[in-house]
Amino acid sequence: MRMILAVLYREYRIRTTSMTWTFYDLFMPLTYLLIFGIGFDRAFAGGLSTGNVVVSYNAFFLAGVLSMASFGIAINTSYGFFVDRDNGIFYEFLTYPMTRSEFLVGKILFNCLLSLAQASITIGLGVLVLRIPLRWEWLLFALTGVVLGTAGWFFFLTSFALRIRRNDMFNTFINVAYFVLMFASSLFYPTDAFPTWLRIVSYCNPLTWHTDVLRFTTIGIGSFTTVIAEAVAFTLFLVASFWFAVRTLARGVLR
Amino acid sequence: MSGTGQAIATLDLVKVYGEKSRTPVRALDGLAIEVNKGEIFGLLGRNGAGKTTLIRILTTLIRPTSGSASVMGWDVARDPLQVRKQICAVLQENAVEIYLSVADNLDTYARFHSIPLPEIRRRSERVLDQFGLREYRHQKVIDLSGGLKRRVQVAKVFMVDRPVVFLDEATTGMDPINKRATIDAIRGQAQQGRTIVLTTHILSEAEELCDTIAIIDRGKCLVRGDLQTLKALSSRAFDMTITFDSLTDTILTELQQLPLLKMTHKLDTVELCVKGKELTAIEILNRLSRKYTITQFEVSGATLEEVFLELLDHREGGTT
Repeated sequence: MRMILAVLYREYRIRTTSMTWTFYDLFMPLTYLLIFGIGFDRAFAGGLSTGNVVVSYNAFFLAGVLSMASFGIAINTSYGFFVDRDNGIFYEFLTYPMTRSEFLVGKILFNCLLSLAQASITIGLGVLVLRIPLRWEWLLFALTGVVLGTAGWFFFLTSFALRIRRNDMFNTFINVAYFVLMFASSLFYPTDAFPTWLRIVSYCNPLTWHTDVLRFTTIGIGSFTTVIAEAVAFTLFLVASFWFAVRTLARGVLR
Repeated sequence: MSGTGQAIATLDLVKVYGEKSRTPVRALDGLAIEVNKGEIFGLLGRNGAGKTTLIRILTTLIRPTSGSASVMGWDVARDPLQVRKQICAVLQENAVEIYLSVADNLDTYARFHSIPLPEIRRRSERVLDQFGLREYRHQKVIDLSGGLKRRVQVAKVFMVDRPVVFLDEATTGMDPINKRATIDAIRGQAQQGRTIVLTTHILSEAEELCDTIAIIDRGKCLVRGDLQTLKALSSRAFDMTITFDSLTDTILTELQQLPLLKMTHKLDTVELCVKGKELTAIEILNRLSRKYTITQFEVSGATLEEVFLELLDHREGGTT
């Protein structure tokens, strides 16, 4: 536990050296919701129809923004491996008296706390400013979903960050992943309107599973059975990604 | 865990990079070394000899392909966490938290090594003075010069007291004053019973510091022993310093015909390291004095640098 706290402390010290980072970490999703969300909310003045329900775009997009924020934190942290590797500190870390799992868990714990703060601000101000009808009784599940989402994406992207040596290649990978995963998911729009092939793709996309769970827990849209299946699928994705990331670290990152 | 007096032991250690590729690189080739507890052990070898690979295996950064390696009795492959609890390392790569201040770098490093907070403050004060970092303590490392960054990196290991310290070219990029401070600090650590393993290209540094030296080449240990043992091995090399009343190109050309390991000249003085027996030195002096006026000469045994050059030259089959 002491090692996990040491990693947590290190992440905290680094993040708090820059106000820009702090702003980005805490308020960026809210800014996204306020600008992008409000714009689309006006464009779909009559609301969005999904299933048999009509909701405002702001309400619909809240889960998308939370999901995107989890994904964004994971991207930033996985990119941090490149920064640490360039500074050489990454290799030194691996000689510290801790297990590879403790190293990853410490990093993810900090990011989960960060995503929790980020989600609380986004949800709180979303409800106050945009009048999003939140299911307060499900809030704990929603926040748990945010945390698990951040962890899942972090472990997934970490495996690639550790295996890909070139910064430019990782950037390309991230851009493609960002583009494909976000737009082929239920993040920005309901998948009901997708053509069949794209709907199938979106059903195989962990970002859709995560967003659907968050949408159900925040505004109650979606079928309970489907959401449970998606939650289980995402948990399996998280566990597999964790195992893969630890294995990559344990097998020797320098090979 | 073994209960012997060895801090480090490797046996038939092999590391092949890119095993499945068409051009695998055999960085270590059956390396066997032993380092006793409490000694300063110098690991020498030319670039690509396998020194850094060995350090990486011993610090659990990479796994060996075959063979075994242990640190304080713990096997690096089977008990990597226990190994990491015994060591601290200055790696060849620069390793500093560039966004943190110098003081925070020392602080975070010590936390990772479970040093209690009051002790961190006390040690931090000592290390800041020891490495001349006090005036930079609140500066972010990103704003420091390369030499200062390296100093911060080296200073960190003196915050903790693990039994084994690895220093991979630790003094690279340091100015002479801080190099001296680092050497003194290393010696101080050894006096407290810590085992120090250092790699360096500065052979005078190894000569000054190390109790035992191993020269490795192409992943194998060529020779291991204390400085005297190594010098004894090199009885076929000696140093000559000759001062002529006037050093000409003709003399230099003639000197270049000798079996040299090294030759430098300044004004009228030539410094040579020659392969051969000391009798050869007399022959050389006789031959030269017949043709030229020699005002001063000196013959001495080999330095570590010459031992190093000779051993590697011998392995290359006589080519320098």
